[in-house]
Amino acid sequence: MSLKKFYLLGFVVLIAFDTFSQVCFKMAATHADPFMIDMAWVLRVLGEVWVYGAIVGYIGAFLTWMTLLRHAPVGPAFAASHLEVVGVMIISVPLFGESLSAWQMFGAALVVAGVICLAVGETSAPHVHP
Amino acid sequence: MNSLLIVTLWVLNILVDSGGHFAFKLAAVEPAADATTLEHWRHMLGRPWLWLGIFCFVGEFVLWLAFLSLVPLAQGVLLGMMSIVVVMIGGRIVFKEHFTRPRIVGMLLIVAGVAIVGVA
Repeated sequence: MSLKKFYLLGFVVLIAFDTFSQVCFKMAATHADPFMIDMAWVLRVLGEVWVYGAIVGYIGAFLTWMTLLRHAPVGPAFAASHLEVVGVMIISVPLFGESLSAWQMFGAALVVAGVICLAVGETSAPHVHP
Repeated sequence: MNSLLIVTLWVLNILVDSGGHFAFKLAAVEPAADATTLEHWRHMLGRPWLWLGIFCFVGEFVLWLAFLSLVPLAQGVLLGMMSIVVVMIGGRIVFKEHFTRPRIVGMLLIVAGVAIVGVA
């Protein structure tokens, strides 16, 4: 497999794991409704099987992240580790019937641009440790 | 009442998320650089920072579930991106990390984006 394909696959897998975790979190939260600030709610939500799906997703993301970091530059890897937001925005429309207003889409675009900007900065900045 | 609860949970989430990252960083940088891996881990396990970090992330697990009970997933994840900025500002203060131009631009874009998603 070429290096480029390896990166691309790695980033896609990382985003997929993170997105999966977030979907599981939302599923667990929805199933444990109504939310109350009490122990009963904590026990109810921790009894949801979805919570453990979220943990599996985190472990998968962690292993993918460590594999990627051995080869990929930290900048793009950093971006990939935060771009699950794109996966979440796409999947939450059919799955949870969510919708973002035009303004919120604009805000989301700014956040994504910011993350990419940080990633590019990490790639080009000299790593100085005073 | 509900929006106050949402904002409180959001702030708490950002605090424990960035707090956890700082605690791990403090745990990681503390021992002497020439320590072996085993000594390094033994030292970290005997000091409070690693445990504080673990405590923060366990707390975040529950706080994040609470937050997502009240807000749509896409908005929740977008608002959670604020912790990147908090970690970078803290990194500057605590660890004297540098603010390069792309970092400043990136942080401003994220703050603006989060503000718009939160208010709109």
